Formats: sequence, C-alpha cells, structure tokens
Amino acid sequence: MFEFLIHVSIMACLYGLLSLSLNLQVGFAGLVNFGQVILFGCGTYGAAIAFSHQLGPVAGIALGIVFAVVVAAAFARLGRNLGADYWGIATLAVAEVLRILANNEAWLTGGAQGVSGIPLLFGDKPRPMGPLMTLGLCVALLIAAWWLCQRLTTSRYGLALKLMREEPQLAASLGYDLAVLKTQTLMVAAVLAAASGFVFAHYITFVGPDQLVSSETFLIWAMVIIGGSGNHLGAIVGAILMQFLFAFVPFVKDALGLPSEYVAAMRLTLVGGGLLVFLMWRTQGLIPERIGGKQNG
Amino acid sequence: MIRVNNVRAGYGDGPDILQGIDLTASGGEIVTILGPNGCGKSTLLKCIAGFVRPRGGAVEMEGRDVSAVAVHDKVKHHRMGFVPQTDNVFSTLTVADNVLLGARHLPVPERNERYAELMAQYPSLASKQERKASALSGGERQILSLARALISTPKVLLLDEPSAGLSPLMMHEVFAAIAAIRDRTGMCIVMVEQNAFEALSVADRAYVLSLGKVAIEGRAADLLADPAMRHLYLGGEPPPAEPHPRLAAVS
Ligand SMILES: Nc1ncnc2c1ncn2[C@@H]1O[C@H](COP(=O)(O)OP(=O)(O)OP(=O)(O)O)[C@@H](O)[C@H]1O
Ligand SMILES: [Mg+2]
Repeated sequence: MFEFLIHVSIMACLYGLLSLSLNLQVGFAGLVNFGQVILFGCGTYGAAIAFSHQLGPVAGIALGIVFAVVVAAAFARLGRNLGADYWGIATLAVAEVLRILANNEAWLTGGAQGVSGIPLLFGDKPRPMGPLMTLGLCVALLIAAWWLCQRLTTSRYGLALKLMREEPQLAASLGYDLAVLKTQTLMVAAVLAAASGFVFAHYITFVGPDQLVSSETFLIWAMVIIGGSGNHLGAIVGAILMQFLFAFVPFVKDALGLPSEYVAAMRLTLVGGGLLVFLMWRTQGLIPERIGGKQNG
Repeated sequence: MIRVNNVRAGYGDGPDILQGIDLTASGGEIVTILGPNGCGKSTLLKCIAGFVRPRGGAVEMEGRDVSAVAVHDKVKHHRMGFVPQTDNVFSTLTVADNVLLGARHLPVPERNERYAELMAQYPSLASKQERKASALSGGERQILSLARALISTPKVLLLDEPSAGLSPLMMHEVFAAIAAIRDRTGMCIVMVEQNAFEALSVADRAYVLSLGKVAIEGRAADLLADPAMRHLYLGGEPPPAEPHPRLAAVS
C-alpha cells in the first residue's frame, strides 16, 4: 500500500506539471491547446531517443527541451494565420500527426513497440528508497514549476498576458506584440510539460506512442477545468484530486463486486461527469481565478 | 504623415469591403471619415492601424510603406495611438491603471505629470480613478479610452467614433479637447464619426465613404456648407451653433 501511494503521488505530481503547463496556456494566455499531450511526448521521446542512442539522461533532457521548443514554435506559427478555435483543432491535428510519426518511424522512436528498459532515475537505491527519491524530485519539480508560473504571471509579463486575453486588439494597439507573447508562453509551457514527460519516461522505464493518445490531453483539460483555470494552485489541486480519485477506482470496483472492465469505464465517467458538473455548476473550478491580480488591486 | 493609396481590403475570404480608397492626413490636422453604417469606416481605420492587411494598394506612414507592419511596431516606430469603436477598455483594471497603460513607455515622473493633467481635464474620470472600468458608463468608457490614447502623446491618433454614447455637452467637450490637442501638439488625427455636424465643425478635412469607396472628399467647412451633402449625409439642417441658454446654464 505504501509503495502504491508513492506511485500515485508521483503520477499526481507529473500530471500536476502538465496541468500547470496547460493552465498557463489556457488560463493565462487564452491559448486553447488540444495537443498538450505531445508536449509531454517531447520529454518522453527525448529520454527514449537519448537512451536508445546511449547518450545518457542529460542529453535526454536537452533533447526533450529542444523538441518541446520546436513543437511550441510550430504551434505558435500556426496561430499566426488561424483564429483561436481553428488553432485548437490544428494543435490536435499536429499532435496526432506526431504521434503517428512516432508510431511509424521505428528507426528513431522504436515504432509501435516503443523503447523499453529506460533506466530508473534512482535505480541503484534499494526498493522503497528509489521511488521515494523520485517522488522527492517530482515534488521539487512541481514546486519549482509552480513558483516559476507564479512569478511569471504576477509580473509585468503576466499583466501583458492578461491584457492580451481580455482585449487582444486593444493590447496590440498599446504596443504589445501578441505573437511574441504567445510564442513565449507556449515555449515555457512546453518545457514544463517535457520535464514531466522526461521524468515519467525514467520512472515507468518505457516510452511508446500509446502514451500520447489525445484522450490524455482531455484528461489534463479536465484537471485544469475542475481545479480552476487561471489559478496555478487550482491546476495542481485538480491534477492531484483526479489522480487520487482514479487510483481508488479499482478499490471501489472491488467493493461493489464489479468486473475489471468497469475500471476504465468508471474512470471515463469520472472525467466526463466531473467535467459536466463543473462546466454546468461551477465554471470557475474548485479554486477560482483571482480577478484583478496583484498589480491592479 | 498618413497616405492611403488605392487600398482594397476585406475579412477572411469575404468580398472587398474597401474598394480602392485614397486618403491622406498630415500632422496638425484632423481628418474625419463619415458615412452610413457598414460602409467600411472602421475597416479603413483598422487597415491604417494594421489590424486588417490590405489586399491591394498601400498604407504609408511618415513616407514608409507600412502595409505589412504589425500594429505593435507602428505603435513603437510611428508613435501611433488607436482607439477602437468597441471593447476599448480593460474592464478588470481600474480607471487609473487603464489610463497609465497608455504611458507605460514613458519615464515615471513624466507619466505621473501627464496623468495628473488628464485627470484635471476629465473630472468625471478623476472621481472614479480606483473603480474598475467595468463599473463605468458607456460614455465614461469612451472618455477613458480617449485619455489612455492621449497620455502617450502619439504622433498619429486613430479614433473610431470617439463621441459614441456621449451626451451633447460631453461631446462638445471631447471634440474641443481633440481640437486643442491638434493645435498644441501638431498631432495627425484621423477620426471616424457618426455625429457629422460636430465632427465637421472641428475637422480640417473630411472623407465620406459609401459602399467601400470615397463618395465625397474635401475641406470640412465646405462639406458643412454644401446643401447636397447636408441633404444626403447629414440629415437636414444643423443644430444651433450655440447651446440653448437653458442648457448653457446647466453646464
Ligand atoms: N471582423 C469582421 N469580419 C467580417 N466582416 C466584417 C468584420 N467587421 C466588419 N465586417 C463587415 O464589413 C463591413 C464594414 O464594416 P465596418 O465595421 O467597417 O463598418 P462601419 O462603417 O464602421 O460601420 P459603423 O458605422 O456601423 O461602425 C460590414 O458589412 C461588416 O459586416
Ligand atoms: Mg465602425
């Protein structure tokens, strides 16, 4: 049970990073990204490709960051010619195309089989110690990411994002370069998501294209919406809550004596139902956005 | 200062809203753009500002072709100010923050000085400085957006219906303020207007658009005196030049 709790906590932290990253885009820059999972994939494949080429984890991080920045730049480039709604669909399409590429370019990505045997980060430590240290790393990463997001969004930069989201035309007419603001936000968010992917790869020790299906993106969306978009803490709480709820679905199933096929269905119901409940009755999420913010009382 | 050469423009895949427009505006003059609803006045202003890319022809500022220059770059390089027709305030910010945003490139002492000047000029804003802009009336928002544009002392100022929703007295005041700025700073001001009489009284030159083309252009005073113009576009006789004595007492 103890190890199981550690596992759930690690996953909660990794989803927390993804949720923070998506929230920075959606809640602060108004970027409706439906391809979030591919930013995570930049980190997993950074780790996988570095490992399969015997380059070591530092190269894996570097590769993950490079992938993330390139994909973010591509997303931002798409945004210059598309309205926000079409952009969302385009990100979904790009994410799917990249996943299919990962599925088929076996020489680089291991194809559908993926890459397995990626070393654990603290594999040399005895059993409960390794996962505990991984958890420590994840918590530290999450706190650092939260701090970074907090710093960013309460600074002048955050004000610029807020203005851009509220009245884009007016913000541009005050001299804000919206394309640059969006690109920068996407890049920061992409690196956070890739960090999550990198740690995930070295924790699960396996990377494959099935980890990048678009339902993952919608799970992260649910976390952001349920937690409260536009609020960093909300995004983290949403992720942790969903992850722990998910973790206890099998126990509920056992208690009710249901067959194991019900686990996946119950999880889906939780996501869909939770989303519906929050969209209909509490659109601001568990922890609402602070309207106004620091600079303006 | 501004030269629009045979500009054609529209939205998305739609038809040309502007069908070959020519317009000039120099420093120290107010040029007003008049015309019926939907004839393309705002589109022309957005084209000059850079929100709408011309499909043909060119927009020049200070002698440079700026047709493809982004809005924010024009704001920086040509000191352009733009006040949109709608959504012209940040409603979650206070009145003071809204106004100060216009001057974020100025050094703090200068900014504060300009801010104090503007507040003295617009007492209706001064009494609501700490209020959220969402709590302002339509007319107050209009004045707020004008104040935000003026605090940066732009070289080129594009105004989309600055008098929309203002009471007659406030409208007088706003137009007087715009004329005073022209005289004092030599700013180049292009304003789209519906209140044609008022606009023509302060403007130097005017363009009347109709269905995406310039139907009439000329000196504002001539247009004001032209009976055909009056009949077609101004809707009859002008209002009395002086406010009614009882109105004057109110002000
Ligand atoms: N964002 C847009 N997308 C598509 N069509 C638009 C858009 N904005 C305006 N139009 C169309 O362009 C035409 C001209 O609009 P514009 O806003 O320039 O008119 P206007 O002269 O400013 O009118 P008003 O006096 O009502 O403000 C209209 O037919 C309008 O429907
Ligand atoms: Mg208009």
